Amino acid sequence: MTKFTVGWLYPDLMNIYGDRGNILTLVERARWRGLEPEVVELRKGVHTGLDDIDVFFFGGGQDREQALVYDDLLELKAEPLTRALAGGAAMLAVCGGYQLLGHYYQTADGERYPGLGLLDLHTEAGHQRCIGNVVVDVSGLSLEPDTLVGFENHSGRTFLGAGVTPLGRVIAGSGNNGEDGTEGVASGTIFGTYLHGSLLPKNPHLADHITATALQRRGVIPLRELDDALELEAHRRVRDRELAGRR
Amino acid sequence: MPVRTALAVMAGKATGSLSRLTGRGGGTTFPGDVARAVDPQVLRRLARDLKGGAVIVTGTNGKTTTSRLVHAVLEGLPARVVANRAGANLIYGATAAAVAGAGVDGHLRADWGVFEIDEATLPAAVDEIQPRAVLVLNLFRDQLDRYGELELMARTIQRALDKLPPEAVAVLNADDPRIGELGSHLSRKPLWFGLDDREAGAQPLPHAADARTCPRCGATLEFDAVYVGHDGEYRCPNGDFARPPLDVAARHLRLRGLEWLGLNLDGQLVEARLGGIYNAYNVTAAYAVGRALGLEPAYLAQRLMSVAAAFGRQERFEAAGRQFTILLAKNPTGFNSVLRDSIELARGRHYLIALNDRIADGTDVSWIWDVDFELLRPSVQIVVPAGDRAYDLAVRLKYAGVKAEPPQVDLGQALDRVLALTPEGQHTFLLCTYTAMLDLRALLVKRGWLKPYWAT
Repeated sequence: MTKFTVGWLYPDLMNIYGDRGNILTLVERARWRGLEPEVVELRKGVHTGLDDIDVFFFGGGQDREQALVYDDLLELKAEPLTRALAGGAAMLAVCGGYQLLGHYYQTADGERYPGLGLLDLHTEAGHQRCIGNVVVDVSGLSLEPDTLVGFENHSGRTFLGAGVTPLGRVIAGSGNNGEDGTEGVASGTIFGTYLHGSLLPKNPHLADHITATALQRRGVIPLRELDDALELEAHRRVRDRELAGRR
Repeated sequence: MPVRTALAVMAGKATGSLSRLTGRGGGTTFPGDVARAVDPQVLRRLARDLKGGAVIVTGTNGKTTTSRLVHAVLEGLPARVVANRAGANLIYGATAAAVAGAGVDGHLRADWGVFEIDEATLPAAVDEIQPRAVLVLNLFRDQLDRYGELELMARTIQRALDKLPPEAVAVLNADDPRIGELGSHLSRKPLWFGLDDREAGAQPLPHAADARTCPRCGATLEFDAVYVGHDGEYRCPNGDFARPPLDVAARHLRLRGLEWLGLNLDGQLVEARLGGIYNAYNVTAAYAVGRALGLEPAYLAQRLMSVAAAFGRQERFEAAGRQFTILLAKNPTGFNSVLRDSIELARGRHYLIALNDRIADGTDVSWIWDVDFELLRPSVQIVVPAGDRAYDLAVRLKYAGVKAEPPQVDLGQALDRVLALTPEGQHTFLLCTYTAMLDLRALLVKRGWLKPYWAT
């Protein structure tokens, strides 16, 4: 059986807003397809075997917890993580985790905290929290359906550099910064987003896209079709309700 | 008494009777809005009429039930007690209750007040009500779309407690790490309560646990006992922080179904007609408030025994030859508690679970992924996912490996469905978020199965 390993970064500290739903979705769908899924929890401290991980998940946390993981991330995780991603592993980063992928986070006082620098983007503290349901047009990813639905709750405003493309464009909600209409980032095997809710259960097409991206190197694609009627109905209902409210 | 306050009371009272007459429900907060518009100081002035004083109850879970317990304790003194009973826990709800309890002369005709107050409203409520005691029950991950994160909430509560009048007491749950932390920063020592029964606390931390790091060194806290959510007996492995020593310790916890619980407090048996560990906390908390107010242990035990569950919280009824229990759950910790209790204490097999995402429920439903619905897998027979977000719930159940019926957004259809699938003589549990509970209850009233809540 082909193994499928999910590496969950700081499950004890960066775990707010039902992030477990993303992990469950990746794992259960792999199991339904006859893969052998495993979740490796990457807590603070030194971990070996990061090269065996197929998908990394990096969720959001509260300020205090985010400060606690910060040094550990830069000192102990940055290097093996970069190496694993260069080897073809995929990554989904949400909210705080997404912000930490970029060059830096700039506080309201103008202080800059460097991020992992994996992607050409940066984040600035905003004055207003963006809270609410989001619908994103992801036709650029050639997925069916061509939308993502989720819930955002962030005050940081993220700006993409010239070197990366957004995950999609918001149809409803604020997205990266509430200004340029972009939401998230999709760059090679790395996906960042402000959408939780949880994201993957209601967007099984994105879950499969990430899994397929990661498994390319193991030669197990195309993935077997699953019955997603329920997931897609949940997706459609949120999408239609949000869009009906805005037209 | 300024004329303005009397006018405010009259305007508020008129609004209250009007909204009841026109069938707009219990009219629980609107009279407060109106009265405050006439006199912004109306609550402050009315609260001064309380000769005994006021108790404020706050925290994420258990406010309504615990307020009811405190109410029963004070009522038996004997005393006239005013309270915002119906879960209307913002400043308008508290004002509405005070207005309803006032006479036409603009004076409050009560000796004591019991106000359940939303955490974010606590600073304003403490300032206006000037309470004798503030009870903080717990701080769980809740409706984060509304009030931001727990850390912020803890700071808000701490700020409010630091402004308590000099003779007032903060009654705090020592078992909640974040409350343990905020209480240790207060200028005056609080009264700490908690559970002390390692046998009852021998369960793993649930996924919804969220206050797990030492506030001083950042190390992950170690738990010698876990009772509800992240509430338990905790300590920092480096010795930097630990659960404060208990002033009121509940020992030898016993649970019987969802109908009864017993505790040892001050060496005597305290019983309540309530079920589940989370109600053991509510009972202990109400008892601790009584002790803070100088009441005798034997008196408290006798009064606490007299209380039945608050509306929509473990409310039971019989209809169509079947037993029903309504269980309100608003966040992962609450949901895990009612799921676990209904399965382990009442052998629950038939469920209607209703999830709404209106303002009062929290518009973000991601928390359902932190609920351990997997608990249902081994024994459940029927689950009907219902409510505005029935489909999200159905997806959650699918990934929990629980076979569920097709989702029913409409609560009436969901109720029909679960009724059709539950054999006669069996027990059905109706698990609801807040507005789903209100809607479902209204439906049950319409069918003649329940009384309207202002009549309970």
